[in-house]
Amino acid sequence: MTEAHPDPLARWSELQLAARQRLEANTSGKTRIAVQVGHCSQAVGAAEIADTLRDNMAARSDADLVVTGCDGACFNAPQVIVTLPSGEARRYGRVTRQDVGDIVDALALQGRAPRPCLGTKSEPTTPEPNRDVESFFAAQRRLVMAQCGRNDPANIEEYIANGGYRGLARAMAAATEQVIELVLEAGLLGRGGAYFPAARKWQGARSANLTPRYIVANAEEGEPGIFKDRHIMEGDPHRLLEGMIIAAYAVSASSGYIYINAEANLSAQRMETAIEQVRNLGLIGPDILGSGFDVDIAIRRGAGGYVCGEETTLLNTMQGDRREPRLRPPFPTESGLFHKPTVINNVETLVNLPFLLDGGAPTFGQIGLPSAKGTKLICLSGLVQRPGLAEVPIGTTLRQIIYDIGGGPLPGRGIGIIAVGGPSSGVLPVSELDTPLRPGMLHPSGVVMGAGGVTVLDESVSVIDVVRRLAAYNAAESCGKCTPCREGTPRMVEALDRLASGHGSPNDLEELRYLAEIVGAASLCGLGQMSGGPINSALHFFGEELARLTGF
Amino acid sequence: MERNELRPLLRQKFPQERALLLPVLHFLQNEIGYLPDWALEIVGWHLHIPASEVYGAATSYTELRLNPSGRHLVRVCNGLSCWSNGGKELLEHLAAQLGLQPGGTTPDDRVTLEETPCAFLCPMAPAVEIDARWWGRATPDSIASQIRELA
Repeated sequence: MTEAHPDPLARWSELQLAARQRLEANTSGKTRIAVQVGHCSQAVGAAEIADTLRDNMAARSDADLVVTGCDGACFNAPQVIVTLPSGEARRYGRVTRQDVGDIVDALALQGRAPRPCLGTKSEPTTPEPNRDVESFFAAQRRLVMAQCGRNDPANIEEYIANGGYRGLARAMAAATEQVIELVLEAGLLGRGGAYFPAARKWQGARSANLTPRYIVANAEEGEPGIFKDRHIMEGDPHRLLEGMIIAAYAVSASSGYIYINAEANLSAQRMETAIEQVRNLGLIGPDILGSGFDVDIAIRRGAGGYVCGEETTLLNTMQGDRREPRLRPPFPTESGLFHKPTVINNVETLVNLPFLLDGGAPTFGQIGLPSAKGTKLICLSGLVQRPGLAEVPIGTTLRQIIYDIGGGPLPGRGIGIIAVGGPSSGVLPVSELDTPLRPGMLHPSGVVMGAGGVTVLDESVSVIDVVRRLAAYNAAESCGKCTPCREGTPRMVEALDRLASGHGSPNDLEELRYLAEIVGAASLCGLGQMSGGPINSALHFFGEELARLTGF
Repeated sequence: MERNELRPLLRQKFPQERALLLPVLHFLQNEIGYLPDWALEIVGWHLHIPASEVYGAATSYTELRLNPSGRHLVRVCNGLSCWSNGGKELLEHLAAQLGLQPGGTTPDDRVTLEETPCAFLCPMAPAVEIDARWWGRATPDSIASQIRELA
């Protein structure tokens, strides 16, 4: 038992006071111009907007330029948020480099709000959808993304001034058992797709009675259609670090690793900066906040592939081995990284911890479902008016997500297929729009929420094309360790190819059913286990359409 | 990079730990553009891992390339969002422009065109990567004109 220590909160208060004073001195009376630069918005020129603004503002002492992460309103990117000294904020959407002059000129009008050009900017080649940003946010409940797009991710003082790392201080003022108990009672489930109680993993690692112990933040996020963890790391990297240090404290881990996807360079950069800052403040390293607890945190990069996000594969990758899952048991909590007890939590799971430990547990308990509390990040894409990253209470229906948040399909289009979860989940027809997104099966044919992807496809997209695409992905990503998956997933693609080419027969549908069952039953990891999801759900909901392809 | 430069460079940059295999391979791919056989062999010497295991690990990761691409690498995302949002037409357009099939390289070694599964830019569909820079909301015209300008 670790002794409770009274000091951490007092130490934290000193940090916050200092952070507030410095921020006040640096920003008082100034206009803040925040450019949202993230993985998504970079692809539509956000970094160039920031550079142009920086050039234009070089001579101004009454305004600060800040590069933030994105707030999830991807449809409106690149976004610039201008906050006047009065606190009044204006959002500029779909900003082009030509708009930068307007934004800077408007600042010259002392104290008057600049002209918002929300929704008026768009490339001439794209039809102008309804870009009602307010509706996008109004239908959401933001806990873990509350600061994404607001906080300067490169400025730890902003995070601390807003109450950041207080959850950590409170955790450290309590005994580790109390921290575990609190998270267990709050009912925090893992957000990577399996929805296993987070604190149960911690208990598992503690009871293994072997040291050192490791904590790993799973930020591999190699699942097509999922882009939530990148948003968090880019927009609020300190929230992830705080969550990791809390988890490390709870399991008495001595080292932590953030396992970041090979291609998520911006996430890695911003996490790197954040790690350096916490090290300088003594929030990682020896004797954190005077608690006597030590932990260090480092970044590891993946090398591509869906299967790397599977936790035992991730461990192999970190050890320099082939990307293959391990046989379980032993579970990573008993024998993980370098065969030591290792807790692997998803980024989204960890970023819930600062809020929970900072007195947020009662609020958390009122959000979501009795069986699955809190919020879920939903990656909404496809043919909707407002694609982006949304945070909703668990149990929110597809209809609310697609219509209230996403604004429904683009004008003149109708929804045909909704692909939920990812490549291993399933496809739903429009009649299932009232399905609430929650852990467990959304439909007995194998549709699950997974990591939280919702891809909306219009009526012109054929179900065979969608299922074939998902199956081809699974076949290409299969690591080859388990024979049923290695041999079975290409057979699925072949049968789907025959159907797509018009040379299929009812036997192909039978074979697909059979393969889905075998591969699912005889594979070690989620890739194989869930590879039948798209096929089974397509056979269930779109059976007639598929049967027509057999020519019988 | 020359063969005889590699070992001193590895000594200088990487401790001899097996767990550093992937970081080393990433580093080499950034430096050389792909992973030639001779480099894999030297990595094995440095980290004390048999060449067969280095090769085994290198071939199991989709991000690692064992063959060189053309001078410029163009990748079109074929994830569901991109594909249904114009990515399919975009790939066909570029393949026709370059006169090759996806996966191929132009005879003058100028451009390699590939499909890639999900660039995690789903809300920015369709997405195309030109030499490690991604472009969202891409149109055939905007991408084609950029490719024409590549040397």
